[in-house]
Amino acid sequence: MRPFIFSKSSALSQALSKKNNTTQFIAGGTNLVDLMKKNIAQPESLVDITTVLPDKITTNTKSIQIGAMVRNTAITNNATVKAKYPLLAKAILAGASPQIRNMASTGGNLLQRTRCPYFYDITTPCNKRKPGTGCSAMQGQNRMNAIVGYSDQCVAVHPSDMCVALAALDATVTLTTKNNKQENIAFTNFHRLPENLPERDNNLPANALIHSISINENPFNKNYAYVKLRDRDSYAFALVSVAAALQLSGNTIVQARLASGGVAHKPWRWTEAEQYLKGKAATATTFSEAATMITKGLKPLSHNGFKVPLLHGAVETALQNCLVASQ
Amino acid sequence: MGFFDEPYDFVAPPDDGRVEGIYKVTGKGKYSAEYKVDNICYAVMVGSTVAAGSIKSFNLSNAKQVAGVLDIITHQHKPVVPGLADEAKIASARFGLPVFHTDKIYFKGQPIALVIAETLEDATYAASLVEAQYDTESFAVDFDKAQAAVALTATGKERGTMDAWSNAPFKVEAEYNIKAEVHHPMEMHATIAEWTATDKLKLYDKNQGVNNVQRTFARLFAIPEKNIEVISEYVGGGFGSGLRIWPHALAAIMAAKQVNRPVKLMLTRPQMFYSVGYRPASWQKVQLGANAEGKLLGILHQSKNGTSKYENFNEGITRVTRLIYNFENLKTEAAVVALNLSTPTWMRGPGDCTGDFAVESAIDEISYQLKMDPVALRLKNIATEKNPETGLPWSTNFLNECIAKGAAMINWQDRKPLPMQDINGDWSTGYGMAVGMWNAGRGNASAAIEMKKDGSITVQTAMTDIGTGTGTSMQNIAHDVTGISKTKIKIELGNSNLPAAPSQGGSNGLSSISGAVVAVSNLLKQKLAEYAATENEVYKNAKPTDILLSDTGISFQTANNQFVSYTSIWDKSKLTVLEVEASSGPGAERQQYSFCSSAAHFCKLKVNRKTGKVKIEKMVAVADGGKIVSEKAAANQMSGAAVGGIGMALLEEMTTDERLGGLVGDDLAGYHFAVNADAPIIDVAFIGKPDPNINPTGSKGLGEVGIIGVAAAISNAIYNATGKRLRDLPITPDKVLGW
Repeated sequence: MRPFIFSKSSALSQALSKKNNTTQFIAGGTNLVDLMKKNIAQPESLVDITTVLPDKITTNTKSIQIGAMVRNTAITNNATVKAKYPLLAKAILAGASPQIRNMASTGGNLLQRTRCPYFYDITTPCNKRKPGTGCSAMQGQNRMNAIVGYSDQCVAVHPSDMCVALAALDATVTLTTKNNKQENIAFTNFHRLPENLPERDNNLPANALIHSISINENPFNKNYAYVKLRDRDSYAFALVSVAAALQLSGNTIVQARLASGGVAHKPWRWTEAEQYLKGKAATATTFSEAATMITKGLKPLSHNGFKVPLLHGAVETALQNCLVASQ
Repeated sequence: MGFFDEPYDFVAPPDDGRVEGIYKVTGKGKYSAEYKVDNICYAVMVGSTVAAGSIKSFNLSNAKQVAGVLDIITHQHKPVVPGLADEAKIASARFGLPVFHTDKIYFKGQPIALVIAETLEDATYAASLVEAQYDTESFAVDFDKAQAAVALTATGKERGTMDAWSNAPFKVEAEYNIKAEVHHPMEMHATIAEWTATDKLKLYDKNQGVNNVQRTFARLFAIPEKNIEVISEYVGGGFGSGLRIWPHALAAIMAAKQVNRPVKLMLTRPQMFYSVGYRPASWQKVQLGANAEGKLLGILHQSKNGTSKYENFNEGITRVTRLIYNFENLKTEAAVVALNLSTPTWMRGPGDCTGDFAVESAIDEISYQLKMDPVALRLKNIATEKNPETGLPWSTNFLNECIAKGAAMINWQDRKPLPMQDINGDWSTGYGMAVGMWNAGRGNASAAIEMKKDGSITVQTAMTDIGTGTGTSMQNIAHDVTGISKTKIKIELGNSNLPAAPSQGGSNGLSSISGAVVAVSNLLKQKLAEYAATENEVYKNAKPTDILLSDTGISFQTANNQFVSYTSIWDKSKLTVLEVEASSGPGAERQQYSFCSSAAHFCKLKVNRKTGKVKIEKMVAVADGGKIVSEKAAANQMSGAAVGGIGMALLEEMTTDERLGGLVGDDLAGYHFAVNADAPIIDVAFIGKPDPNINPTGSKGLGEVGIIGVAAAISNAIYNATGKRLRDLPITPDKVLGW
């Protein structure tokens, strides 16, 4: 690890004023410290922002706001989240380990880097780590990599579980910019696809910090599911995951939400399948049709063809699990 | 147990607790890297970034500018190691990788430089700045691709002929592939090396045998063995990775010589992937024949395993095939496949785990052809009387009893004889079983006892305790033989200054040391009887078996017990500490009998049709380990082994990149071994019958048989659930899908 200057900011504006190319912010540090140990992130100075970011969850009748510094565990313990946004808690609990969730911040969860093994190995080419060097995963061990939305530059996937639920629930990311203004960005637009700039994971402006996340009240707190398929039952990243939520009227689907992790460079919404489910009967056949719609156009890589049938099964299972109300 | 670098208060464990348990859970027990040594500095290894070729040049200027850097060792700049001084000596040293003694690169990650600095942080940062230029060469790291071109050769003696069963009415012919697995004990390997004089060396080193470390470095540095003290009191798991002496330990000693200061070198978790061995990738082919009555007629077992470009490591995959069943016709062939990877080594159940998976899968497969219960098929064919390889009668072999007991424990009668007959929604339930066996060995071991006037004793041996409960077993045995309360029995082990003992591996630890502890406990009784005889003549010529020791004195095990207190013995004979030492080892019984430990594993699991998920609901392990000396520690060892087996069956895989020439991924987030969520509580039982011939306690080792049959039991259960025969490990969801 390269030596660095460590400082602690007392105010958000002060922290933002310190931001430049050689400075990085540290909150929970659960990903950044690994990146530093592996010489991937080599900041000259590190600014601790744990005391300048909001660390409260506030609610009103219409929505919930989660401060960027709220620890992942705190979200899962929050009574309002459990009652009104349980899909979020369920997704968070499917990720990492209790120790990591105790440290990890909400803002940091959004900003964590891919777990593509080549990204973490500085002896190998990687366009995301070192633009222009090539993508080792494209022809290499790409079992964990993308099946949709990738480019010839990068096939990495976003590793978060929490973000899959936030995408499904149409959350909003509130940013604070250098001149202390707040800006909103739809969650589904926060992360980006690799295209020709794989080094950029998201659309966070250089002069901004994540301030908080908000979710509007929604009817998806009864029939929801988060299915995460992985090689082992805990402390493993998703092969594929599915956040599913249904608003039902009797056995008829009023509206549906479907999002996936482990499939793309960003949490992936399956909007076509959501449209398809609208107004249909909530039956195994309908669910299977939706799964087929989702998996039809996917383009797996050399070693992850299995993700297509796996995703099909995960979508069916998640939708089926939605019918077991309030798990 | 305590520590060898500071005084400590002995805290007795609770009843049936481990002697070192309190020190472990309170964090006081010291692992190798945790000893405080004055004036210590730190060494960090730099690995090659290419897989094959040679080092052309170094650029060390950036690294040397880092504050605190003391020196950087390379093959061009190093202290003299007499045993590696020239090519001929390197060849005869049989040390393995001649680290810092060659410009050749055999694998990516191979240590090419060693940065020594005042702090770990300085050394780590400077190591990242070391640059090397290479002449690169072509390489091969993909076992599956490389193995096809390697020819098999016969291994072991052929029994009968292959022709004799070529017309067998029931036959299985199949290939099996297992990915390489990494040991990954929780404690990373570490060495603190201190030259206390120019020819005297002190090592705090993580390993499974201090005397082996002592011998190796005495040879390499041309100094007497007694000049080297090796301390390995607490060992946080080994699984075989500590049975060899690896380059990092030599590196630490060289560094200490170079800077003339104590040096600490601890491997990082990424380095653990290629620095201390691994279970090699393997290919196997099994042909198996049976007649209509379910008698196994013959087997052809072929195997290949990966090795490095600088050493041949043959895992011994077909050994177990020769041991368990009465194959009248048997042929085994093997080969090793040289790759640009570090050398593999023994990993729990070495060879046998691998071979047993193939053979036990094939036997399960033929049982379905025969429409015969796999339990019945095994009971019919297991060689219960004689070792089929040597012809010697088994001293004891209770494998059939293990099977019967395990079948009852898992409710084997609930198993459906055909696949996919127990389906509930997307889940299908299946049952599987397999057996494993291991030659039960025994080595020469020594132990000593120090006794004080207050009746407390310390039992000592050089043997390590890698978490198996060796110390606790020693305490139990000393208590059983002498009668002294456990609270007054202290254990010291894992130090080469203590009486010599074999390395703890191959399930030999307890079998070896138990004889020495019995012998030295009896010697203590005899010595005390001799002292007592000076006060009371009835003790003259008293046999140890007649005598009982209490916390306060010696007596006969009879009503008229003739008690003599330790106080009076110590006062009268002016004793301070009474010291006795004894050795024990195998003898003529090894020419009369064969010895084995064995186990049967049963698994009940369910498989999801849509997600490929395998959920193990119940795992039963029944072992014949002779007399069980420490029930809790023994059960713990069996559980741990079964969980390791779950990892082998479903999760563990060391991945290589054939284009880039190295491993892919080097952390425990990506390399999956089983966590609690993947494993049920393992139901463990023992037959518990002492082996009357193996050693004075009748106990046989359990380390290997706990894992050998696990992977096959799981894969056989998956077949029973799905009808899908999976012959490649690990069985990840992608392989399970589609039934």
